Amino acid sequence: MPTLLNELLADTIQRSLHLFVPELIVCATIVVMLLVRVFGLHRWLPARWVTVFGAMVAMAWALYQFVGLRQETLQPAVVFTGMLIVDQFTVFFRVFLLLALVLVTALSVLTEVPDDDDGADFYTLLLGSTLGMMLMAASNHLLMLFLSVEMTSVPSYVMVGFLKGRRRSSEAALKYVVYGAGAAGIMLYGVSLLAGLTGTANLHELAVRIGTLLSAGHVSLGDPILQTALLGVLFVFVGLAFKLSVVPFHFWCPDAFEGAAAEVAGFLSVASKAGAFALLTRFVLAILGDYQPVEVRHVYLVVGIGVGVIAAVTATFGNLAAYAQTNMKRLLAYSTIAHAGYMLMAVAALIVVLTGTAAPTFDVFAEAQRAVQGLLYYLSVYLFMNLGAFAVVAMIRNRLLSEDIDSYQGLAREMPVLCVVMAVCLFSLVGVPPLGGFVGKFMIFASLFQAGFVHWSMWAVLVIGGLNTLFSLFYYVRVLKVMFLGELPEQRPAAAMAASGSSAFAVLLAVPVLLLGVFVHRLSAAANEVAGTLFR
Amino acid sequence: MQPRDSPGNRFAEEWSVEIKGPVGWRPACVYATGVADFEETGMETTASVIGVQHYLLVGAVLFVCGLICMAGKRNAIGVLIGVELVLNGANLNLVAFGQFTPLGLDGQLMSLFVIVLAAAEAAVALAIALNFYNAFVSIDVDRGHTLKG
Amino acid sequence: MHTDIGTTLATLLAIAWLLPLAGFAVEIFGGYLWGRLSKTAAYIAVGCIATGFVCSVAALLIWGNATGWSALSSQEHHAAAAHSDGVTLPPADDRRPDVAARGQNPAEHAGSAAAADSPAHPGSADQDDEHAATAEDTAAHAANHDGSPAHVAGEHRATGTRAYSGVFYTLAMFGDLVVTIDYYIDSLTLVMFVMVTFIATCIHIFAIGYMSDELTLDYVDHHAHTADGKHVHRPGRFYRFFAYMSLFCFSMLGLVLAGNIFQVFVFWELVGLCSYLLIGFYVERKSATDAANKAFIVNRVGDFGFIVGLMVIWTALGTFRFGETEVCGRRDPGIFQMVRGDDGRLLKTEDGTAVLLRTERDAHGRWQVAAAGQQRTIPYVLLVLAGFGVFCGCVGKSAQFPLQTWLPDAMEGPTPVSALVHSATMVAAGVYLAGRFFPVFTTDVLLIIAYVGCITLFLAATIAVVATDIKRVLAYSTISQLGYMMLGIGVGGWGAGLFHLVTHAFFKSLLFLCSGSVIVGCHHEQDMSRMGGLLKKMPITALTMLVGVIAISGLAIPGLIAFSGYYSKDAILATALAYADHNPLHFPLFVVPLLTAGITAFYMFRLWFYTFCGEPRDPELHAHVHESPAVMTGPLIALAVLAAFCAVGGENGVLYRLIWGSAPEGLAAGVPAAVGNGLALPSTHAVHEVHSRAGALGLLLAVAGTLLAYVIYVRRLLDPADIVRQFKRLHAFLVEKWQFDNVYDAVFVRPVHVVAGWCAAFDRVVLDGIIHASARAAVTVSRWDRLFDEGFVDGLVNLLADVVYRFGALLRVVQTGRLRQYVVFLALGALALFVLLAAFFPGA
Repeated sequence: MPTLLNELLADTIQRSLHLFVPELIVCATIVVMLLVRVFGLHRWLPARWVTVFGAMVAMAWALYQFVGLRQETLQPAVVFTGMLIVDQFTVFFRVFLLLALVLVTALSVLTEVPDDDDGADFYTLLLGSTLGMMLMAASNHLLMLFLSVEMTSVPSYVMVGFLKGRRRSSEAALKYVVYGAGAAGIMLYGVSLLAGLTGTANLHELAVRIGTLLSAGHVSLGDPILQTALLGVLFVFVGLAFKLSVVPFHFWCPDAFEGAAAEVAGFLSVASKAGAFALLTRFVLAILGDYQPVEVRHVYLVVGIGVGVIAAVTATFGNLAAYAQTNMKRLLAYSTIAHAGYMLMAVAALIVVLTGTAAPTFDVFAEAQRAVQGLLYYLSVYLFMNLGAFAVVAMIRNRLLSEDIDSYQGLAREMPVLCVVMAVCLFSLVGVPPLGGFVGKFMIFASLFQAGFVHWSMWAVLVIGGLNTLFSLFYYVRVLKVMFLGELPEQRPAAAMAASGSSAFAVLLAVPVLLLGVFVHRLSAAANEVAGTLFR
Repeated sequence: MQPRDSPGNRFAEEWSVEIKGPVGWRPACVYATGVADFEETGMETTASVIGVQHYLLVGAVLFVCGLICMAGKRNAIGVLIGVELVLNGANLNLVAFGQFTPLGLDGQLMSLFVIVLAAAEAAVALAIALNFYNAFVSIDVDRGHTLKG
Repeated sequence: MHTDIGTTLATLLAIAWLLPLAGFAVEIFGGYLWGRLSKTAAYIAVGCIATGFVCSVAALLIWGNATGWSALSSQEHHAAAAHSDGVTLPPADDRRPDVAARGQNPAEHAGSAAAADSPAHPGSADQDDEHAATAEDTAAHAANHDGSPAHVAGEHRATGTRAYSGVFYTLAMFGDLVVTIDYYIDSLTLVMFVMVTFIATCIHIFAIGYMSDELTLDYVDHHAHTADGKHVHRPGRFYRFFAYMSLFCFSMLGLVLAGNIFQVFVFWELVGLCSYLLIGFYVERKSATDAANKAFIVNRVGDFGFIVGLMVIWTALGTFRFGETEVCGRRDPGIFQMVRGDDGRLLKTEDGTAVLLRTERDAHGRWQVAAAGQQRTIPYVLLVLAGFGVFCGCVGKSAQFPLQTWLPDAMEGPTPVSALVHSATMVAAGVYLAGRFFPVFTTDVLLIIAYVGCITLFLAATIAVVATDIKRVLAYSTISQLGYMMLGIGVGGWGAGLFHLVTHAFFKSLLFLCSGSVIVGCHHEQDMSRMGGLLKKMPITALTMLVGVIAISGLAIPGLIAFSGYYSKDAILATALAYADHNPLHFPLFVVPLLTAGITAFYMFRLWFYTFCGEPRDPELHAHVHESPAVMTGPLIALAVLAAFCAVGGENGVLYRLIWGSAPEGLAAGVPAAVGNGLALPSTHAVHEVHSRAGALGLLLAVAGTLLAYVIYVRRLLDPADIVRQFKRLHAFLVEKWQFDNVYDAVFVRPVHVVAGWCAAFDRVVLDGIIHASARAAVTVSRWDRLFDEGFVDGLVNLLADVVYRFGALLRVVQTGRLRQYVVFLALGALALFVLLAAFFPGA
C-alpha cells in the first residue's frame, strides 16, 4: 500500500501538476479573491482586478504550454492516473477559454454588471465555470466527463439568476437548473451504462473495448449489447447536447439567455459551447475508437448521419425560430442554437469521414483532421463575433435600459461605433465574406462536402446548411435595418452613458472578426496542427 | 483458469485474448444474462440469485420515477427530489457495475463523487428555488412562464 | 572572402544608391516640414549625395585592395606581374593555387590588359584562331564564387576584371521564374558611381546658390505669363527642386548598379520621369512643359525598341541577369555567359544562322554549350534584334540621331539640371548601357552604332556653330560628344567610348555650371550676343570655363600638358582610324569625327570668346554683372581640376585602366573580318599603331578650329555677319537644326494630330452615340424590369419570407415557457432519438 501511495504521489507531483498549472492558477485566483473579501481588503483590491490578473496569468501560462507543446519542449501526457489528458488540443482550449474569460471579465467591468459587493461572488462563479470548461477539454475519463459538465453547469445556473430581484432572472435560473439537472441525470445514466458495458471508465480503453465488442458481431439492433451501447452513447450525447443547446435539448437556452444578463449569456454561448464541443469531440473519437473493422462501420455511419440530421434540424430550427423574436438576447439565443447546429455539422462530418475507407484520393485521417480544424476555426471566430454581439447588446442596454429590438430605432446615429461593430458581428454570423464567419463556415462546409463522398446524406446536410445561411440573413439584417435606417425617436430616456472604454472594447472584439476573415492562414494552420494531435 | 464447455465461457476466453484488456474482464452481457460462472470470479453462488440485472432494474425504475417526478411535480422541491432520484438511479447502476464487472472500485468511487456533486447541486438548486420564491412568492414552478416563445 | 567583398561592395553602393531616395522621401515634404524659406532640403540632399560619394570612393578602395589593384598594375606586364605577385594578391585562402600561379604569368595577363606594346601578346591576334571567333567578350564573371571551379575559367583575365554579381532582394518567385533586385559590380560600375556621385555633389552645392531665388513665398516668373499678360506669381519651390534632384540621383545610381537588364529598364524609366519633372520644373512656362513632354515622348520612342529588345532577350535567353548569379541555391548563367561564355567567343551553329548558348558548366566551371541534343540556341537575327532594340533605347536616352531633338529643348530646366542631365546622369545612361551591353552586340549592330554616332556628332556640331544661346551651344556640343562616345563603342573602342564618357562628364558639368554662373551673373540672360567682355567681371567663372573649353576641344601640347578631353578623344579617333584601316569601305567613320574635332574646337572657343572677350555688347547688362558667390564657384574649381587632370596619363593613366579593367574579354585581340560578318574590329595593338597618327591629325584640326575662332571672334579679321550673309541658306538650315523639328512636326506630329482628330470625332459621334443609346435602352429596360421586380420577384421573395416567418412563429409555440413541459420534452427527446435511431438502423 505505501508503494501505491508513493507511486500516486509521484505521479501527481512529478508528472501531473506542472501540466495542470493554468487550472491551479484559476483555483488560486478564486481562493485569493475570497480571502481578500474575508479580510476586508476588497475596497483596495477589487475582485475584478484579481480576476483579470489571475486569468491573464493563467492564459499566459497556457500560451507558454501551447508553445512548449508545439516546439516539443513539453510532452503531451495522460495525467492524474488517467483522469485527464493534456495535449495540444487541451491547451488550445485552455487558451481559448481563458481568453473568453478575460474578455467577459473586461466586459463585466465595463458594463458594471456585478456591483462591488457581489463582485467576488460573480467572478468566483465565472472562474469556477471556466475551470469546469477547461476540465471538459481535458477529460479522459467518464467521471471527469460528468464532473466537468456539472462543474461548468452549477456555477452557470447561479450566474443566470444573478440579477437579484428580477422575476425573469430567477425564473430563467430555475428553468436552467432543473433542465440542467435532468440532463445531467440522463447523462450520468448513460455514463453508468457505458462504464458497466465495457468495464472501464477510461475513454481510451472505452474506445478499444467498444470497437472489440462491435467487431465481435454485436452489430444487429436485436443485440442487447448494441442496444445498451447505443442507449449509453445517446444518453451521454443528451447531456452534451444540453450544453450545446442542440435541438431537441435546447429549451433552456432562449429562456435562460433572456433572463440572464447579456454578459453571462455571451459567456455561456461562447465558452460553455466551446468546452462542450471539445468534450464532444473527445467523446466521439472515444466511441469511434481507432479499432474499426469494415463490418462495423455502418454502425458508426448511422451515428454520424444521426448527428448530421440533428445538426441540420438544429440549425434550421434556430434560424427559423429567431425570426419572430422581439428581444435581442432571445434572438441571439436562437442564433446561438443555429450556430451550434453549424458546428455540430463539423462533428457529423468528422464521424462520417472516419467511417470512410481510405481510397487513394481520400485520406481519412486528413479529412477528419480538417473537420476538427474547421470546428476549431469556427469556434475561434465565434468567440469574437458572438461575444461582440452580446457585448454591444450589454452596452446598449446600459444606455437604453432595454433589450427590445424595437427600441434600437435609429441607434446608429447615437452610437455609431457600437452599431458598426454590431453590423460586423452580425454579418460575420451570417457568414458574409470577407469576415471570419465566412471562413469558418466555408471550412465546415468543405468538410461536409468531403464527407459527402462517404455518404450522400452529408451533401443534403450541406445544402440545408447553405440554405440556413440564407435564412439567417433576414433576421440579422432586420436588426441592422432598425439600427441604421430607423428613425431616432424624439424622446430618449436619459440614462447613464456607457463607460468610455466600451466602444474601444467593442472595436477590439470586431477587429479579430475582420482579421480572421482576411488573414486565415496562421490560425487555420494552428488549428490544423491542434486537430492533428487527435489523430496521432 | 479451466476452460469450461459453456458457450459463455468460450466467448469470454476469446475476448480476453483478443482485446488485451485487464485479465478477467468480459462484457457486461455475460453478467447480465446470468450465464457467467461465478466461481471463477470468486463470487458466492448466492450471488446468482440476485444478479446485476436486478440492480439494474431497480436503477432504471428509480431513474424513470425521477423523471416522472420532475415532470409531474409542481412544487419546486418535489422537482428537485426527482433530480435526486434520477441521479441515484444512475448511482445504483454504477455501484452494481462496480461490484459485478471489472469496473470495480471505479464504479463505487464514481458514485461517491456523484453523491457529493448532487449535494452541491441540490444546494444551488435550493438557493435558486428560494430566489424564485422571493420573486414569485410561490415555489410553484408553473408560475414561472413569463419567458417563452 | 570574395563573397564578403562582394557583399561589402554591394552594401556600400546600396547605401550610396538608397540614400538619395531616403533624402527624396524627406525633402519632398520640405514645404511642410521646414517651410519654403529653409535651405534644409538642400542640405539634406547634399548630405545624402556626398555620403554616397564617400561610400562610392570607399567601395572603389575596397575593391582595389581586394583585387590588388591589378587592373592598374597589369598594364606594364613585366613589372605588373612581379608587382602583383609580390604585393597585391589578397590572402592565400582567397584564391586557388593554380589561379595564383596564373596570376604570375605575364602572358596570361596580356589578354585582359590594354597595352598594345606587350611583347608577350601576339601581335597577330586578329589572325589567331584562339580569339578568332569574335571580337567582343564578356566582362561578366560572377563574383561570389571564389574557390569554385568557375573561377578557374577566368584564366584570360586579370583578377581585377572580375565582376561581383548577386541578389539584393528577391521580389517574388513563380516556380522557375525568380524576380530579383540584382547588383552587378565591376570597375566600370565603381567608376561610374564615383563619377556620378562626385559630379552630383558639386552640382547640388552649386544649385544651393543657383536656386536661392526660389527661397521666397512670392516668386515672380518673368518667363511665364498669366492670361492677362502679367507675370506669374507663385511660391518658391526650392525644396522640391532638391527632392527631384535626389530622386534623379537615386534613379541613375540604381541604373548603374542594376544587375539585370529589366532592372536597368525600370531605373531607365525613373530617370526619364525625373528628367521630365526637372525639365518641366518651371511648369508655368509653356516652353518648359513642352520641352518636358518632348523629352519624355521622344524617349518613349527609343524605349519601344528597348522593350522589343527585352522581349527578345527574355524569350530567347530566359533571363535578364547580366552575370552569372546564384539564385535560390542554383547557379544560373547570365546573359553574358550564355552568349559569350567565359572565353568571350560567339559560337555559331554550322549553318551560321543561329548562335549556340552556353548553359552548362564543365568540370572547370566554364560555361559551355550543352551536349548535343540539349543545346539551346538563339537565331542570329534575334541576337541582332536584341542588341539593336536595346541600342534604340540608348539612342533615345543619349539623344542620338534621329532622336536628338529633345535634348536642346531640355535646356528649359534650371541650369544645374542641365548640368546633371548632360554630364553624369541621363544622357550618360544611354552610353553606359551601350557599354554594359557590349557583349550582346554583334558586329552588325556595332556598325549601326558607329554610324549613328558618326552622323550625330557631325550634325550636332554644325548646329552648335550657329547657336547663340549659351546653353544651346553646350547642349549641341553634348549631343556631338555623345556621338563620339557611340562611335567609339561602335568601332570597337569600348574603353575609349566609356573613357570619353567619364572625362566628358567632368568637363561638360563644368561647362554647364560655368554657363549657369554666367546666367546668374547676367540676371538670367542666356543670349551670348548680348554678353562679351565678362572676363574681368567674372574671372573665376571665365577661367574655369576656359579649362572646360580646352578640355572639350582636345587642345594640348603633346608630351607636356594635356587636358582630359584630348586623351579620350584621341583614343576614339585612333580606334576609328584603325577601324577604317581594317574596313576601308567605312572610312567616313574616321574622316567625319576628325573634321568634327576641328568644328568642336571652333564652336567652343567661339562660345568662350563671345562671352568673355571683346567689348561688352550690352553695356547696361554688363554693368550689373557680378561674380557668383563661393557656393557656386567652389564646385566650379573642383570640377575644373578634375576636368583638367582626371585623365592624366591617357591610356596608361589610372582612369582608363580602371575602366579597361572591366573590358569585355577578347576585345583587345580584335576580330578579323572573316568571322565578324565581313566587319573587322581592330585589336588594341592595331589601334596603338595608328595612335600617334590619329592624335596628330586630331590635334592639328583642333588647333585650326581654335585659330579660326580666334581670328573671327577676337581679331575680327572676318566679320561673322558677313559669313552669315554669304552662307545665308546654309545658316538658316543650321539654325533650323537641319529641319529636324520641322520634318518631325510635318511627318509625325501633324499626322498624329489629324488622326487624333478623327479618333476624337469617332469617339464623340460613334462611341458616345452607342453609349448614350445603350444608356437610354438600359433605362427603358430597367423600367420594365422594375415592374417585373416589384410584381413578380418581390412577390416571390415576400412570399418566401412570409412562409419562413410563419413557420418560425409556429416553432415558437413549442417553446411554451412551462418548465415541466420542458422536462417532458427532455425525456421524450431522448426517447424519440433512440426510437428514430432504432427505426433507421440498417438491418433493423
